[in-house]
Amino acid sequence: MRKVAVVGAGVSKFGVRKASYRDLIWEAGKACFDATPAVKPKDVEGLVVGSVLPERTAFQSHISSMAAEALGIRPSALSARTEHMCASGTVGIRYAYAFIAAGLADLVMVLGVEKLNQPSGDEAILNMGTGVDREWEAAFGLTAPPCFALAAQRHIAAYGTTEEQLAMVGVKNHTHASKNPTAHFQKGATLDQVLCSRMISTPLRLFMCSPITDGAAAVLVASEDRARDLTDRPVWIRGTGQALDGFQLTSLHEDYAHWPALERAGRAAYRMAGVTAGDVDVAEVHDCFAIAELIAYEELGFCRKGEAGPFVAHGRSDYGGEVVVNPRGGLIGCGHPLGATGVAQAAEVFAQLRGEAGARQVPDAAVGLTHNNSGMGEHVVMIYGREDR
Amino acid sequence: MPYFRATDPFPLESADHTKLHEFYARLAAGRLATTRCVGCRRLAWPPRGFCGECGSDRFDWTDLSGEGTIHAFTVQEAGLPAGFDGPRVFAIVKIDGLRVFSILVGAEPSKVAIGQPVRVSPLRVADDPNGNARWLPAFCPA
Repeated sequence: MRKVAVVGAGVSKFGVRKASYRDLIWEAGKACFDATPAVKPKDVEGLVVGSVLPERTAFQSHISSMAAEALGIRPSALSARTEHMCASGTVGIRYAYAFIAAGLADLVMVLGVEKLNQPSGDEAILNMGTGVDREWEAAFGLTAPPCFALAAQRHIAAYGTTEEQLAMVGVKNHTHASKNPTAHFQKGATLDQVLCSRMISTPLRLFMCSPITDGAAAVLVASEDRARDLTDRPVWIRGTGQALDGFQLTSLHEDYAHWPALERAGRAAYRMAGVTAGDVDVAEVHDCFAIAELIAYEELGFCRKGEAGPFVAHGRSDYGGEVVVNPRGGLIGCGHPLGATGVAQAAEVFAQLRGEAGARQVPDAAVGLTHNNSGMGEHVVMIYGREDR
Repeated sequence: MPYFRATDPFPLESADHTKLHEFYARLAAGRLATTRCVGCRRLAWPPRGFCGECGSDRFDWTDLSGEGTIHAFTVQEAGLPAGFDGPRVFAIVKIDGLRVFSILVGAEPSKVAIGQPVRVSPLRVADDPNGNARWLPAFCPA
């Protein structure tokens, strides 16, 4: 297989946006092309768009063609939409990777976009119910928060994890987001603010949850030869893994704090990249809820099972610790426009590994990881590496 | 044209819409049932029309006891979908060796506990677009 690299990235402002679905595509596309002056839209051979809910929120399907036309891209090798709920963006990057590695394309844009705050707030949440089983779960009003609350309840009972430790994920990620101008939230948060925020689903409080957010992000992915023509600092895709345990809650491991599929996805990605958890300098993990970040530390091997609470409390996942987790602000701080999230994570790792992350820069970051879940039993992991590692 | 909501959050349960309609017919009569694969005799939850273990699409219906215990639960207070009220007790119920996802109705949320005995309590929801009654397999304290 051929080597594949990310050569450019751009992110729209995330938030409750006064912008249409197409406005968001334009914004992320412009940001990506502006940051990659060697590439014009006509040079791009393929487009993959990660997007989950446009049929409901924008009354639009046929997304890849619509986005290609909006950006002036005329695909000659690949045009597709990926929908894998909250992992849609990263699943799109994997498709671009596979096409390029196989020699079927040389330069592909992966764009993630979601306009969630439409048509109304409670309908936006109703729409999110399409991500769980409509007949056996969503019909009861189930969306993501109660699912992850079950994991949090179990982690507390099994390992003595505290509400304060869950809250510290919220504090860290809101604080990181305050240094990211594209993040939904800009003000940071104190431990008291997180612990006093509104209860969503016991024991998860508002500031331990990602919000309903609009946003888009884009990356340009290229073959080795093309990448070296376009930039002197490509960021290589070195490993990838994906694994599923199940879709419905009752198909998952009986211990909801144990996510074997994440351990398997991580192991596959590490093996392919030839690295271990200890080599990862910066990680963008899927903190849709604080408990998801804690379990990700464990299943990805940053700490042992059950030790994630103390790991975050002692700053070991922050600047100065073993691995900086979610310097972008995570889903809790940036918001979670489903299809855009994985692409925005890749854009952050791209900036970090090129030393271009400004106030958020992780010193000398050489190996980066991104992780998405699309439910507690479904995980995808990517490993990125700098030129010299 | 004024704005209208075009979402039906409930399953279409009649024989015109699903091969699992027997589940809903029995539920309307107060019985909790599921499928047993004719090929490998595996009991499924939820009911299924194709066995992912042996590949058979032949199944029998079996009534479950209707009584179980709470394996895990959470109380959602805010952020519920349009048309659904909180606080809402979501629970995983252990019943006849199966794990069943549902809601607990008729319970004081602060008094719910892991291990608590519960029984099936069919919940009538909005009729389907043809006016047929629809039921969901909810639970209540035993």
